[in-house]
Amino acid sequence: MSFKTFTVIKMFVVIIMAGLVGWAMVSGNALIPIPVAIAALVILLLFRRGVKEVVVDERIYSIGEKASYLAFRIFGIAAAVISATLVALGQEAMPELEPIGFTLAYSVCGLMAIYYIAYIYYNRKYSGKK
Amino acid sequence: MPSTRINNRIRRLRFDNNEMTQEELAQRAGCTRQTIIALEQGKYVPSIELAFKIAKAFGVALEEVFQYEE
Repeated sequence: MSFKTFTVIKMFVVIIMAGLVGWAMVSGNALIPIPVAIAALVILLLFRRGVKEVVVDERIYSIGEKASYLAFRIFGIAAAVISATLVALGQEAMPELEPIGFTLAYSVCGLMAIYYIAYIYYNRKYSGKK
Repeated sequence: MPSTRINNRIRRLRFDNNEMTQEELAQRAGCTRQTIIALEQGKYVPSIELAFKIAKAFGVALEEVFQYEE
């Protein structure tokens, strides 16, 4: 199977899944989206195995790494500035903004913690130390 | 305009090998056609592994495909 055929199949699966989830939401069946999503995932994985041509290679991974790092830095700086602003505004004028600011600040701290744990892990993995 | 100091002769070698297509080379080297295009335009430097695979696809030594410009 070519990658183009797989893309068309993927589009149809996503459309059907979106329709079923939408119908489930309207009819009040909150549990239906879970098996639908799992079924869609399984179907796509099965079709994905049929694709013989190389779809992802080292250049794609390299681009992904650069994009992830840039997104991390932009989000980190923006969230830090916004959270500090919200906390300051919350303490001065609008107290309802303070918990939002703290939530955002803790999210950034959590993200940075995950980043440094991952960094230490990969640094050890590729350092040659045992 | 090449943005790296590593030059390659991929385009020349493709034509010397019965005008091998980019798609065919990509299949032999196990990468995408977009990567071959990026390599030919000097916009991407491959890993050592991919460089060896490309050289193997042409049946030549690595140095015959890639050259480091001092």
